[in-house]
Order: sequence, then C-alpha cells, then structure tokens
Amino acid sequence: MILSKKEISILIEIIFSISFAFIFIPYFYENNDNNLVLMDGLVRIVIEILVFASIYFSVAYSLLEFVFKKKETKDERDDLINSKSYKVGYLLYEFSLFIFIGYVCSRMNFSFILKNLKNEGLYENFTLTDAGVVFMILALLVFISIVKSLYQFYLYRSI
Amino acid sequence: MILKNNLKEVRQKKGFTQEELGNSVDVSRQTIISIEGYRYKPTLELAMKISKKLNIKIEKLFYFED
Repeated sequence: MILSKKEISILIEIIFSISFAFIFIPYFYENNDNNLVLMDGLVRIVIEILVFASIYFSVAYSLLEFVFKKKETKDERDDLINSKSYKVGYLLYEFSLFIFIGYVCSRMNFSFILKNLKNEGLYENFTLTDAGVVFMILALLVFISIVKSLYQFYLYRSI
Repeated sequence: MILKNNLKEVRQKKGFTQEELGNSVDVSRQTIISIEGYRYKPTLELAMKISKKLNIKIEKLFYFED
C-alpha cells in the first residue's frame, strides 16, 4: 500500500491522538475525583504535553518533508474530503456536547438530592469535580479527533 | 445515470502523464487518478480546464451512461 503525503500527515495526527490517550489521559482519569488545584504534578503534566506535542510534530513533519520533497497541490478533491470529515467531527462534537451537558446536569441533580437526604457517602460519589470535567472533555476531544481523522483517511483512500 | 469519462484514453492519446495533466490544471495526480477511476466527479470548472488542456469538447470527454 503506497501512501501519499496527505495520507501520512493524517496518520501522524491519528498516532498523536492515540499516544496522547495512552500517555496523558490515564493521569486525568486517576485524578478524576480531585480538584484541579489539589492535583499532584498538574503543571508538570501540562508542560510534558506541550513538550511532547512540539517535539512529536516537529520531528514527524520534518521527516515527512524530508521524504516527500515535492510540495503537494491542494485542490477541490481535498476541499471535498476535508468538508466531509470536518462535518462528521462537528456532528460528533455537537452530539457529545449534548450528552456531556446532560451527564453533568444529572450528576449535579443527584448530588443535590443526596445532600438534602444527608447521605454523605453517596453524595461524595455523585459530586462532579473540575478534574473530572477536564478528564471527560479531553477524552471526548481525543475520541472525536481520532474518528474524524480515520474518516478523512478512509475518504482519501476511497475517493 | 452515471457520469463517465474518456479521460484516460484521451490523456494517453495526447501524450500526457497523470502528473503532467494534474500540474497543468492545478490539481494533484491523485485527483486525476480518481477522476479516471470514476470515483471523483470534478467540478464544472475543473472539467472545463481539463477539456481545454486536452483540446477536446467537454461533452466528448464527460458523458452520461444509463
């Protein structure tokens, strides 16, 4: 299977999203019950993400430019593929935002009811922390990014 | 009705490679491959550019088939 420069750049994005999910998301998952200010090493992890992203993309795209020296033309087929894949990404984003708001509201509602019932144990379980919200947003963004890029890759191979 | 074309035959007859034709009408080689394989329907603008480059009437290059 011979891949074009555009297809390889999509694969670079997919590999980044998957690496991000495996390397950094577990940290947010483990600290999902904490508050952001109480999280150990939050600043360190943010710096690590920035450094990792900068090094990864600069190395990957430099290698890509080195291997494919010729500049590829961006044409109407690329526009069509991009519009289709971004549309899928946008729809997923809208749908997940809807689900996310519903989830946050229902948890807040439950915790409010449990607080009134003075059930401290269950109230703790249903309280949504800001770190939990950050974890959910990151997980959703990574998921949407992977699906969008996979669809874009599929379109490049099939159209 | 399916939109088909004679692009491959005409291009080869006129002695153009996919790369050369693509460069002359500002599209990539992959786009020319997709048009020749009927996977991508070009816009009217691109179809006219290609027919002009190959010096052939657009209706002879692109046609409908039942």
